[in-house]
Amino acid sequence: MKILGISAHYHDSAAALVVDGVPLCAVQEERLSRRKNDAGFPLAATEWCLAQAGIEPEELDAVVFYEKPMLKFERILTCALRTFPRSWRMFPKAMKNTLGEKVWVRGLISSQLGVPARKVLFTEHHQSHAAAAFLTAPTRRAAILTSDGVGEWATLTIGRGERRDDGTTSIALDREIRFPHSLGMLYSTFTAYLGFKVNEDEYKVMGLAGYGRPSRVDDVRNVIRRTPDGAFALDLDYFEFHSTAARSYSSRFIDRFGPPRNPYEPIDLQTSEGRRFADIAASVQRVLEDTLVDIARALHAESGLSDLCLGGGVALNGVANARILAESGFERVFVPPAPGDAGCAVGAALYADRIHFRNGDRDVPDHPFWGPAVDGAELARIAREDGQHAAELGEAEILVQTADDLMSGRIVGWMDGALELGPRALGHRSILAAPHDAAMRDRLNREIKYREQFRPFAPVVPVEHAERYFELPRGGARLARFMSGVFPVRPEWRSRLAAVTHVDGTARVQTLERAMAPRLHALLEEYGRRSGIPVLLNTSLNLAGEPIVNRAVEGYSTFLRCGIDVLVAGRTRVLKRGSLLAKRKEEVA
Amino acid sequence: MQKLIRFGATETDGGRDLLRAAEVTRDPLLRRLYLLHATDEQRHGMLFRRRAMALLARHPERSRGTRGPGWSLDFARDGHGLDDLEVEREPDDTMLAFLHVAEQSAASRFTVYRDIMQFDPDTRRVFDDILHDEMFHMNYTAVQLVRVAPQHHRSRLWRARLSRLWKAYLRLASAIAGAIGGVILTVQYFVLLPPFAWLAKRAARRDIAGWTAVPEPRHDSLRSQY
Repeated sequence: MKILGISAHYHDSAAALVVDGVPLCAVQEERLSRRKNDAGFPLAATEWCLAQAGIEPEELDAVVFYEKPMLKFERILTCALRTFPRSWRMFPKAMKNTLGEKVWVRGLISSQLGVPARKVLFTEHHQSHAAAAFLTAPTRRAAILTSDGVGEWATLTIGRGERRDDGTTSIALDREIRFPHSLGMLYSTFTAYLGFKVNEDEYKVMGLAGYGRPSRVDDVRNVIRRTPDGAFALDLDYFEFHSTAARSYSSRFIDRFGPPRNPYEPIDLQTSEGRRFADIAASVQRVLEDTLVDIARALHAESGLSDLCLGGGVALNGVANARILAESGFERVFVPPAPGDAGCAVGAALYADRIHFRNGDRDVPDHPFWGPAVDGAELARIAREDGQHAAELGEAEILVQTADDLMSGRIVGWMDGALELGPRALGHRSILAAPHDAAMRDRLNREIKYREQFRPFAPVVPVEHAERYFELPRGGARLARFMSGVFPVRPEWRSRLAAVTHVDGTARVQTLERAMAPRLHALLEEYGRRSGIPVLLNTSLNLAGEPIVNRAVEGYSTFLRCGIDVLVAGRTRVLKRGSLLAKRKEEVA
Repeated sequence: MQKLIRFGATETDGGRDLLRAAEVTRDPLLRRLYLLHATDEQRHGMLFRRRAMALLARHPERSRGTRGPGWSLDFARDGHGLDDLEVEREPDDTMLAFLHVAEQSAASRFTVYRDIMQFDPDTRRVFDDILHDEMFHMNYTAVQLVRVAPQHHRSRLWRARLSRLWKAYLRLASAIAGAIGGVILTVQYFVLLPPFAWLAKRAARRDIAGWTAVPEPRHDSLRSQY
């Protein structure tokens, strides 16, 4: 069967193609359109997936949309009614926005792709998250916990998944917490309050939390209280996200926490105001972790299972994930590489295949590389057209040369094979650098990422060496496979891994198995032979505000515009000489 | 201040589109020029934002009406950004003509702002700096347009001007339609919704906070949008 999964219309749209029960390809629209968090209908992503598989739209057995649009519309309308008359500003916008396109998904898919409307199916939002988490994880049976801002009505669900011996599969979501009570919305509200972009900058709150003390936990617990049945409820007097599109927090929220941060003023952690914001970030982070750990612990006790699959945008919170692993009782915690809405395209297609069509279970390859492949020859051609020296080297030679570059303090743009699905660069579209000095972190922040000083960089290490440098609990290496957990750097290595050690002594480490990214693994080994530490700093190959690069030409334009010294695509290596762009302008002028 | 932030967002957005243009063109010289242009636009965005931040620091009371960076896309719809041009689909001559006309328009607007900023030499310097780049952008787009479309460069420019006018009309018409739609929906909200709102609020009182069981039949109904 050929099943296309689609997620779209809210943030981070994507398409994924499942053929005979196995994902064949998947890509986020933003990686093709080059508009970060592109929420539009993923036509380019869909066209790429179909072209990759060599099939026409009419050959598809089903197209599965990742949520139920009418159910979502019902929630929006109900919320507008429940908050009448405060919702009077939101109502016209919400109706125009929703009725304009978002509820007509069946017709939209049918007309855009030319498939009959009867072939268009709809999973529930959290079913998609659950399927993306469970059906891609190497486990036979597991508890499932999904949490995000909101889907249709659900904001958090718990359930279980099972692959049975007869080849059938089940995913059952047993209970849910419904909008407006939402951990994702709680975190997003604090994200907005702290002056960051909602649905994009939540990880900055997590980074900032490392610099603060959770001294405002009691205040946060006033806005989210626990219910007797072990769930939680927001005190809606502190929030406005359910009644207005203008602001997510209320005046009462400001009375409790103080004035919000102006987004245009940098956070200075030396000032009392900067520390106040850091303390608030630390406090909401702590409450989020405590709540998730409690729910996961109860789920473990109830299910008696040893594996947990986490899905939804909240599962991008690596600090919380690590605490769940350490404290909930689950032995293994699986987080897919794209736990957010982009991954729902994969989840929706797999859910339809296993549950709706009742096809037999198939193992899903355990990697994140489902996108377009990079072409080293394209990089060589472009670089030569620009008068750059592009060297096409042998396999061993490129690894040796790159390790030498890294040893000499150069920053390397590394493009290899198929593009990752999800927000993390996991070794195919990465910026790599030596992880030893804090000066390297500062250089990356200053010359390449142009971002806040408080944000940490992540390390990548071969899984077989990970325990030596990082304090990984049982199951930690698995959680770190897709950079989904934050773990302490061993104290004796912190000074030698200063560029990747956060202020609180932790790192969002990626443990790399040779089979997943053999070339990066070989590079790490090569680098380890020179430096004695087979660890590299690994951050996504993009500049601030741009999506991770896809093609060689995008890597090349990124390379030209920032402080990356060397760009590698496949076996092609380009070394930057001087400030190319400044020179060009003089020439042209 | 608001204007500077808006200009900053628009320039940055235009820079992203130029970057895309650099990545899709098959012409190596244009690729280099677009890339230069894109970095200029992004630098302009930064200059505008920095100046706005400096003014904000001096007059914090004015920050109350300042929206966060999440709103930048709203601001970017003013015209100098290329968001109404499908960069991937446009041939080089159309792109160059559009850029030339857009740069001309931006330069004349920035000149006006520079001239009225006599009382604020720092902001004036920002406009001066940016206008210097805009001259380069206008020149190179004109020269390159003649190179890639020697026979048709004039017609391409006229087409670009008409296209901008048409898009401005569409933006205006869409804004008016949006406003009318908003008024109608607001009237409906206050006239039709109150009884339903009363019922919804009554029903909400019966909601119990905490866990809700997921009904079994919901699990296997993929044909339904509900």
